[in-house]
Amino acid sequence: MTAKAKIALFQCRWCLFSPADQEWVDTQLPENIHLTKTPCTGKINPLYLLNAIQGGADGIMISGCLPEQCHFKTGNLAARRQLEEFNDFLHYIGYEKERVHFLWLDLQDRGIIQKELAAFEAELEAMGSTQHLATRVMRAEGGENA
Amino acid sequence: MPDINALKLEAKRILREGIVDVVVGFKPGDSPLHPQPAFFRNEDEVEELIHNGLCKNNLANYLTRLPKQEKVGILVRGCENRSVNSLIVESQKERDDLYLIGIPCEGIIDWRRIVEQAGEHISMVEDNESEVTVHAPTGVNSYNRFDLLHESCQRCLHRNPVSADTLIGDPVANGSLELATQKVKNFESQDIEARYAFFQKEAERCIRCYACREACPSCYCTECFVDHNTPRWTESGATPAGMQGWHIVRAFHQSGRCTSCGACERACPMDIKMTYLTEKLNHDMREKYNFECGMDAETKPPFQTVTLDDKNRFFVGGGK
Repeated sequence: MTAKAKIALFQCRWCLFSPADQEWVDTQLPENIHLTKTPCTGKINPLYLLNAIQGGADGIMISGCLPEQCHFKTGNLAARRQLEEFNDFLHYIGYEKERVHFLWLDLQDRGIIQKELAAFEAELEAMGSTQHLATRVMRAEGGENA
Repeated sequence: MPDINALKLEAKRILREGIVDVVVGFKPGDSPLHPQPAFFRNEDEVEELIHNGLCKNNLANYLTRLPKQEKVGILVRGCENRSVNSLIVESQKERDDLYLIGIPCEGIIDWRRIVEQAGEHISMVEDNESEVTVHAPTGVNSYNRFDLLHESCQRCLHRNPVSADTLIGDPVANGSLELATQKVKNFESQDIEARYAFFQKEAERCIRCYACREACPSCYCTECFVDHNTPRWTESGATPAGMQGWHIVRAFHQSGRCTSCGACERACPMDIKMTYLTEKLNHDMREKYNFECGMDAETKPPFQTVTLDDKNRFFVGGGK
């Protein structure tokens, strides 16, 4: 892969307790990482993941809180059940499981998300791009999608 | 096979005694291969009622389509009974408004397999316990009944109705879990390229007619995610991305709600295989949460219930 791996980052707005980490994510994310901030991981619909994959993301990272630390009590539990199952399901039909990465953060964690993103990016670059699951191709590029 | 006269008597009785306003069942269709769903509102109409192995629709589908205040009598096989239960769990119908006439099921015959073997223009199909006799222009032939069954019926786990008000016929032997999960295990044992190739080959034939959605009792949303356009959830065109997206998400919306009746696959005009997707989700629900959809009218599916019990499956830093 010549260009950098494209990562879609779904971040629960409560999971980064340290203001410095949140500041870094909000302002200093590298260009190849697309941030979607959600009120809670429970807000992340499996369709968001599918849209990111079909939109050309090489990998997806989901960052949320540990159990009993959810701002909304059970949002992360619901998300975990659905998203984990969705990932298993995508794997079943031939999408690499390693391309969806869950990062459940403790309130005390500092500076973990930067390291994890860098490691995930290196991992994705080693894997190369995937032909599994069709991506949208716009009309301007000769495809059928509007 | 259920005794058709006993079925008619029961249907007439509940209509006469005012227990229900309408009985949902089957009547003969244009071809002997295609009996069609029918709504019987008085005793005379019930004379048309039939029930045989070629009745391929899941009748629970009509519960959400009929007016909500109507009391409904419905002919249920094992899978239909579980679909009814799942609709009650999802508050789509009250159990008190329903009268379930249970029929132990010996499997639904796949009409495509009959056409494959006997050809078109079939004039009569005799459905016996172990073999099916088909009267075609080319001659009269008998086939082994099990071989003609639809795939999801061959590996059916729960053949008897689980909560019927009355049972017409004797209960039959239930299927084995081993046979039911074999398909998923076989598919999973293939490598990732083969799995994707199969999925791609099946999904690309889709013409986006949504017959699978219309045939499914669990697909009752007023506005489906593919019809929603502000914001657009997914690609709605017949493009590779759109077709794959539809197949993935249609199946995923059934997780913990599918009763493996196979009505989606039987409804598909392009003969696309799709039960291998929902079977996988059912398999996971069984393995991870010990949940079987529709076995009673109270238990909510795993995605509607959350508990701290499975917190140990969380991990910091992606489990490394």
